[in-house]
Amino acid sequence: MSASAVRRFVFAFGAAFGLFYAIARARGLALFTVYPAQAIVLLGTHRSRDVADPVLDFLAPEMYWYGWTASAAIGALVIGLVAALLPGRLYWFWAWCVWIIPPMAMIACVYLTIPWFRL
Amino acid sequence: MATTLLILHGLVAVALIGAITHQALATCAPPNTKPHSFFGRFRGIPAARFANAITVLYLASTLLGAVVYLYFKVDIQPNLERDRHWHAMGFLDLKEDFIVIGLGILPAYWFCWHQPASSRHNHLRSSLTLLLAFIVWWSFLVGHVMNNIRGFGS
Repeated sequence: MSASAVRRFVFAFGAAFGLFYAIARARGLALFTVYPAQAIVLLGTHRSRDVADPVLDFLAPEMYWYGWTASAAIGALVIGLVAALLPGRLYWFWAWCVWIIPPMAMIACVYLTIPWFRL
Repeated sequence: MATTLLILHGLVAVALIGAITHQALATCAPPNTKPHSFFGRFRGIPAARFANAITVLYLASTLLGAVVYLYFKVDIQPNLERDRHWHAMGFLDLKEDFIVIGLGILPAYWFCWHQPASSRHNHLRSSLTLLLAFIVWWSFLVGHVMNNIRGFGS
């Protein structure tokens, strides 16, 4: 892989990672769900309250963060590889994306966190 | 085990915050700073040499934090929810989100710092460094508060 292709890959990866993470976070698209208390990992997004009474939720707390990260990483990897295959003259576009999208994704995450501050 | 990992996570975070702060200030300090002033000395250091260390420390800190988070979810979070520390939970959620977004830009950050100083990546390099510095500082402060929350503000 040439230096130019590596450059396009890392810039596109960084931009796509933030975008896909914000989408995964907003839509609940976890590649897998971790149940740390039971040491279980299930493929896809699962909620304890869907199969048990919500008051028992604390017995099997689920974690989506790892799954969201994995979803974003896979999506970003695909976009990065596509960007590496595209012409080098699109470099400026990917540089612009990695400059603007991660901060926007952070703002989106702030928005998604607002419910905690309304409790 | 969890305590050992948490202490290790904290130590790595201290090293990371020192390195990224040094690099960010070296990147942003005005070029006409007096050479023997505080900022002049900051600018004098070869900031590019921090890039590898920052990348490794960020990865190590994230990995340790991801492991410690498992213990947190089972042993600590139920207590925080019982005590209605909703704001702290919100800040911790943001810490997780910011850390992952930082993880995504880490390859671009590393790449930019391995290009010649006069290249067209200068602006992008500064932006990514500042963004990472913000993420590291946010995460450090939130982590610190969470670590001490049973005494913090009570």
